[in-house]
Amino acid sequence: MWRMLTSYGVPLLGIALVTWISSAMLAQWGLASAALLFLLPVLLGAARGGLGPGLLAALAGAGAYNFFLLPPYFSFHVHGPDHAVSVLVLVLVALVTSRLATRLREREEEANARAAISEELAQISRLLAKGSPVEALERARSYVAGIYGPVRIDGAQDGFSSLDQAAFAWAMHNGDATGHGTGVMAAAEWTFLPLSPKGRGAHALMALARPADGHTRPMVQIEHMAQVALLLGQGCDRIALDEERRARETLAESDRLRRTFLASLAHDFRTPLTVITGQLEALAKRSPEAGEALSAARRLERTMSDLIAAARIEEGSLSPQAESLDLIDAADAAFGAVAVPAGLSLGHAIPADLPFVRADAVLLHHVLINLIDNALGHAASRVMLGAALQGGQVALWVEDDGPGVPLAERTRIFERFARIEGGDRAKGSGLGLAIVRGFAEAMGMQVSIEDSPLGGARFILRMAA
Amino acid sequence: MNRVLVVDDEPAILRLLGAVLARGGYEAATAATASAALAALRGGGLSAAILDLGLPDRDGLELIPMLRGAGVPVIVLSAREDVAEKVAALDLGASDYITKPFDGEELLARLRVALRQSGAAAAQEVLAHGPFRIDTARHEASIEGRALTLPPKEFALLQALVEAGGRILTHAALLEKVWGRAHVGDVEYLRVAIRALRLKVEEDPAHPRLIRNEPGIGYRLMEA
Repeated sequence: MWRMLTSYGVPLLGIALVTWISSAMLAQWGLASAALLFLLPVLLGAARGGLGPGLLAALAGAGAYNFFLLPPYFSFHVHGPDHAVSVLVLVLVALVTSRLATRLREREEEANARAAISEELAQISRLLAKGSPVEALERARSYVAGIYGPVRIDGAQDGFSSLDQAAFAWAMHNGDATGHGTGVMAAAEWTFLPLSPKGRGAHALMALARPADGHTRPMVQIEHMAQVALLLGQGCDRIALDEERRARETLAESDRLRRTFLASLAHDFRTPLTVITGQLEALAKRSPEAGEALSAARRLERTMSDLIAAARIEEGSLSPQAESLDLIDAADAAFGAVAVPAGLSLGHAIPADLPFVRADAVLLHHVLINLIDNALGHAASRVMLGAALQGGQVALWVEDDGPGVPLAERTRIFERFARIEGGDRAKGSGLGLAIVRGFAEAMGMQVSIEDSPLGGARFILRMAA
Repeated sequence: MNRVLVVDDEPAILRLLGAVLARGGYEAATAATASAALAALRGGGLSAAILDLGLPDRDGLELIPMLRGAGVPVIVLSAREDVAEKVAALDLGASDYITKPFDGEELLARLRVALRQSGAAAAQEVLAHGPFRIDTARHEASIEGRALTLPPKEFALLQALVEAGGRILTHAALLEKVWGRAHVGDVEYLRVAIRALRLKVEEDPAHPRLIRNEPGIGYRLMEA
């Protein structure tokens, strides 16, 4: 009201002032200058108050000019075209100025509104970036709620009417703004806005209550709230990322602990075993009993290595390093690491021109030792290694002239602690073949069993040449 | 009498190594920590060192360059299965390695090789190991008196193995010596050259007796 009063009153006062000054100075200035002076209050009125005050000032100015300054004085009688021109000019000035001013003011208001909106979005981003993701999201949510009324991002639907629930489902399904203030189910009490950009499908929604005064939210504001919802969605993403990272870290830590445990277990076993075998070795030269104890200690060492290898397979911590290998080297090294019992022979017929293979030297070494040990445990007189190029792959096999493996047992035998019923000569840990399969698979090789021409079993490894 | 420094944090292992060394005719000086080992090194008079890599105060790998710097050949004693660690130890200058539980006789054999190596003059014109003789000045190689005709890479490879005199050389060390630093990862080159060399020096190339491989580590030359 006060604004209205001043926007109309001030130009009128201006007219009065100009009338008084110009009538006093009319003799010195002349009529033309006095007429120009009347433009000032009209400009003032139109610029400050817009069209109404401008026009009022223009009409009042024209009247006062006519009444006080134009002869005949103190009458509204108009008797020349020059007066009509001055009235017209004053009215036109009022019209043009008020339009210019109004447009300027509108633009300023728009800019202010835009600044407010981006400040709001910036503030939400700042809130989301600070502190733990969960607390940050809650702070941002309550900031938005403080401006626009109740906001929910918990995804729960309690307290929603059936229409609200339908709008919720629609928004989830279409990833579009739904409910109050939108084109879809506008009668709902809440507006539902997706938290992720369109096209990704809504995984979660922001629910915004109808304004407390019962008004319908303008479309512009709904569009702005859609932006806000996307920002809050980023906050939710950050929580998800954070949780994922933490889960990964926990996993890596437990992995590291397990690895350290296995390494120290190996160390703790091996140190006393080294002392035992070392001392027995010296004694074994004089006493056959010590010799027996020595071979028992060596078996224990093998069993312990098997257990640790099985644990490494179990936890998936094998990381094979494939390198170019000569299988002749591999066989030679494996032969050097096994003890051949009296009465048995061990040899190989690997062709000297076999292509190199790609495998992890250490894992393949263990695989061969275990296969040879297993074969020595079942052979009647001999164990042979062979290899051949078969269909672009290299097949490497270990075979014996023992009883062989019955067809029905050929899968089960690779399971841990599997032993063939009856006639069992193997004294291993029961893990040897499980380790063979675990290591071979880690290197991308296949293991299978066939009948050997020697009469026993032939364990075949197939690998890339 | 040769004095051998033994570094291990397990007293029982120290006693065992002491007994093994005594059997081989060596005198053992023991240290349970890296700092004790360094003190013994400063004391001087060491012919070789047997070093466990798992020490309480420092990583055993750190000691290798210090011992090598003082002219003491090092045999690494490792309880760990980690091949990468053995390779690292060898590349840092260790003469050889042996894995727990070890065979006493094998340890003594490795020790003899390491000691002989450190005693040998650095730049001999004629190198010999087992049946091999290499005349570096004339660029000639022979096995049991029979001259070998070798392409340059194979000659360089054999020379590197003979120079090492029974010590193990890592794949990377051989590749660097023969093919240059840019090829330390190209194990395939080495496999091809070793196979070609075996065809010329081994009685039965499918059952090599002279050039032996240790999985994931490297090659060594046997005496016969």
